[in-house]
Amino acid sequence: MIDALRYEYMRLRTIRSTYWLLGLALAFQLVLALLLAWSIADSDLTRSADGTFSTLATIGGSTGAPLLMAYIVGLLGVFSTGHEYRHGMIRATLTALPRRPHVFLAKVISTAALAALTAALCVGIALASIAVFGLDMPSGGELARVSGGVVTYTALFALSGLAFAAITRNQTAAVALLMLLPSLIEFIVQAIVVVIKTNSDDPQGKGGVVVILKFLPYDAGSQMYVESSIKGFVQRALGAEPFGALGGGLVMATFVGALLVISYALFVRRDA
Amino acid sequence: MALIRAEGLGKSYGATRAVDDLSFEVHPGSVTGFLGPNGSGKSTTMRLMLGLDRGDGATTYDGRTFGELDHPMRHVGALLEAKPFHPTRHARNHLRMLAAPNRIPDSRVDQVLDMVGLTTVSGGKPGKFSLGMGQRLGIASALLGDPDTLILDEPSNGLDPQGITWLRHLLKHLAGEGRSVLVSSHLLQEMAVLADELVVIGRGRMIANGPVADFVTGSGLGAVEVRTPDAALLAPALTALGATLTEEGEVLVVRGATAEQVGEAAHDAGARLHQLATRQATLEEAFLAATGQSEEFRGTSGDGA
Repeated sequence: MIDALRYEYMRLRTIRSTYWLLGLALAFQLVLALLLAWSIADSDLTRSADGTFSTLATIGGSTGAPLLMAYIVGLLGVFSTGHEYRHGMIRATLTALPRRPHVFLAKVISTAALAALTAALCVGIALASIAVFGLDMPSGGELARVSGGVVTYTALFALSGLAFAAITRNQTAAVALLMLLPSLIEFIVQAIVVVIKTNSDDPQGKGGVVVILKFLPYDAGSQMYVESSIKGFVQRALGAEPFGALGGGLVMATFVGALLVISYALFVRRDA
Repeated sequence: MALIRAEGLGKSYGATRAVDDLSFEVHPGSVTGFLGPNGSGKSTTMRLMLGLDRGDGATTYDGRTFGELDHPMRHVGALLEAKPFHPTRHARNHLRMLAAPNRIPDSRVDQVLDMVGLTTVSGGKPGKFSLGMGQRLGIASALLGDPDTLILDEPSNGLDPQGITWLRHLLKHLAGEGRSVLVSSHLLQEMAVLADELVVIGRGRMIANGPVADFVTGSGLGAVEVRTPDAALLAPALTALGATLTEEGEVLVVRGATAEQVGEAAHDAGARLHQLATRQATLEEAFLAATGQSEEFRGTSGDGA
């Protein structure tokens, strides 16, 4: 297993996409966090320290926008397995490391670790931005909640990218899935559910088709870092109570876990 | 030194049997040529040998399967793809990446880059390499672990004549050190001077396996050439021996009899001989004769014939 991790370490170190993806994520975070912090410091409106921190740490993701860093770092997950197939590397990899379970597990570990580390650095940038503009620091509880949520969500997001690439063996398809599933497909599902519910006999009633919304994996996972006043806005408007941070995180983790199990089973069984 | 033993290798794609019950050995100290028409299953067989494809049978390297080898590149070096690398990862880094899990030092990376003549472009992006340069990088990765076994699929693809000569000397040298070398190629003239043994397959099945000389001789395409002013005396004597005769100008081509048999028959018949020579079949002739019915893909001459 150590040998497989050594391979992954060298693989990540010796390819440019690792650097430009991480650099892009951190650069976006730095520029946007500084702009947001400057805007908040310059504003006459009173805003809670916790709210400021969650906004800066997620670059607006806490108010419902997509978590930008996850989308960028998620590509690292896609490339982790996608490069193997796109560039015909898989056979060279498996002749250097024939134990496929080790190869797959090393990719999962390295992707999760790198995504989590990048997310943690993004949180650090948010805190630095707060300090630079003399804003109030968040409470310990909010710091832990948002940091944990962002780090966990980003790691799971990247792992879903890895799984998509391993399942499809097509890097372009995996990127498309990773970009479209959270931001477009889930939105379309929500819209369909809203239409069905509002045209039902009991549009104000609880339960029914809206339960589906609680299980949209990326939306559920976002509850780990979204502000509590915004969590599950659509669900509540339709009469359903969302899972919350822990439950939502478990839904996303279960979804990503299932993807990883499928991709692992295919990876160890398929011809290289 | 490793003995490669392939036993009962088989692989199906749907209803198509790509490799069917192939068994052979590759011995230390020899270069074994792996021949077969396009689509005959050579590459699939090599992938099966390395555990890359799932199929029937097993291949062992001194008794252990490829998956059971610790640090496999130190035991078996393989080249399977024409350009098996990321186009922007520098050539040296590509080798360092493969070396890392096999605990091979960077000094060996530089050594193999020098062996294949890529030192000056080791910091270059392989995506810009020619096919021949890419092939050299693939050969470098196969040699990385200084393995006692080499499995090379069409390693001369894209190499220029100097490169082919270099590769021939390299593989002969490595075999001379006692390593086992299995190499597939479509260059039959090259294989004729490179290989000691042959594994010839067609439609996934074994056609021939053994020394090159035996394969060529066993093809029955060898002949004895005779020039004689007394053909009328000699021909009946040779026919009585069971030989077949064809005339090529002044030369009588005799198949089915050795030069010794022809000479004695001429003596007994009182026929004068002006020339008695042995015509050896080439590996190409023997290969084409052996695999003629096993071609998966057959073209036309382009003239509508």
